Amino acid sequence: MIQITNLTKTYGAGNKTVHALNGVDLQINSGMFGLLGPNGAGKTTFMRILAGIVNPSGGSIRVDGHDLTTEAGKHAVKSMLGYLPQELGMYTELSAEQFVDYMAILKGLDDSKKRNKRVSEVLEMVGLREVANRKIKGFSGGMKRRVGIAQALVNDPKILIVDEPTAGLDPEERIRFRNLLVNLAADRVVLLSTHIVEDIGQTCRDLAVLAKGRILFRGSPTDMLKATEGHVWSLTMSGLEKPNHDLTVVSMLHLAEGTQYRLVGASAEGYSSAQLTQPGLEDAYVWLMKQSQEEVMLS
Amino acid sequence: MKRFSLKYTLLTYRLDQLWFPLAFWAFFVILTLLLSNEEQDFNIARAYIGVAVPLIGGIMAAYAILDDPAIELRFATPIRAAQILFERTILIFIIQTVSALAFIVFALLIGVDFAPLGNALNLHLAWIVPTITMIALGIFGAILGAQTMIGSFLVGLVWIIEVIIRDGMAVNNWKYAYIFMGILTPEHPDLVSNQIALFAASATFLFFTWLLLHRQERYI
Repeated sequence: MIQITNLTKTYGAGNKTVHALNGVDLQINSGMFGLLGPNGAGKTTFMRILAGIVNPSGGSIRVDGHDLTTEAGKHAVKSMLGYLPQELGMYTELSAEQFVDYMAILKGLDDSKKRNKRVSEVLEMVGLREVANRKIKGFSGGMKRRVGIAQALVNDPKILIVDEPTAGLDPEERIRFRNLLVNLAADRVVLLSTHIVEDIGQTCRDLAVLAKGRILFRGSPTDMLKATEGHVWSLTMSGLEKPNHDLTVVSMLHLAEGTQYRLVGASAEGYSSAQLTQPGLEDAYVWLMKQSQEEVMLS
Repeated sequence: MKRFSLKYTLLTYRLDQLWFPLAFWAFFVILTLLLSNEEQDFNIARAYIGVAVPLIGGIMAAYAILDDPAIELRFATPIRAAQILFERTILIFIIQTVSALAFIVFALLIGVDFAPLGNALNLHLAWIVPTITMIALGIFGAILGAQTMIGSFLVGLVWIIEVIIRDGMAVNNWKYAYIFMGILTPEHPDLVSNQIALFAASATFLFFTWLLLHRQERYI
């Protein structure tokens, strides 16, 4: 569905050149695809390129056979796209129904009967039917996000791109949002970009980890966990001493017998009481980031 | 597919952009009523339609595209750059047209004689040409600099320079760039050439704005 080859994006020139994306190769098929990475990894740039808003500096991207580096290709891709940007700007004086209706018109849904039906459907889908006539300016952050997803879905897109959709949502809203995305992924490509590991773990069977504009990992969450086996330890220490030896503390818990640390690193040889533990997705993410930092330092 | 809705174009239009021209209109109406004498009324009327209306149009145009809260969502839809440009500029031109025509009607009702500006065509070209030029300049400046402030600054700068050195603008090759020739020196022998040159300049500004609008990443 989406074929990306050697994708690069640079900003600025000379000494001030920033490589936002550096030789990204990916193939994305139907279903839910997660893009995980720290802030500043290049995720938003990547999503904006796929949405046809940002032009790549090099490489090729084909979406459903359309070349996204050409104007004609961008136009074709935008016609089959649903996009929810990270910073969601809306016309807050409009009601939810008006806003989604307007976006439907911009996306080319000209038949007013069909459009009204579809607008009602998507508002129902995101649970906003009851407040459809209320102005967006009175909505909570979660409700605004839901309006955002409703406008993204109104043209029944083949590809749905959502950039950091759960940022700022409360736990209940996040769960609801994740479930909604999984449902939508049944018959389309859903690209979820986030720095929240849990969101990916709960929703995606296929993911990539992006850091400093490069793909560090591509595969399933299970593959990512396998690659981390043997690098996660549990260690309980008393007193004020803290673990060192190039180990990263993923979490810590104060217990009666001391402080229990969850550690990620190449080896815990310095600590005889350290016990090897089954990795979680967050550990796997930390391990990947740690390896990439070490590679940078060596080079 | 039309991908256009007049209803929503109007509903999403910022109301302060209506108050701004309305406030100027009301100010000039009050000024005319306060300083009521035949010569003054003509000067106030031509200052409004030929000098103030283009300035307001230019400043509003600088905000027309970039001052859109949903610009990223709009860019992700398959609407063409030309449509964005047309939708946003035409609305500003319509507002300026309504302002100018309403003022002309008001001026005619209180007895202002526009004969010094020539016939009806010349009268209307005297405000239409500078208004289009300033709108094109404002929108081009904003899009070129990817900032609304740059467009409005450029409009303000050109406007003030041309108003201050208007006598110098009417001679040599500057006469082709003299935006207010039709309203301030309507008897100028090169008025037609000046208006053609300004139309051409406006078309050029709009063409480059359209080209630059394809680089959407500059504006998000």
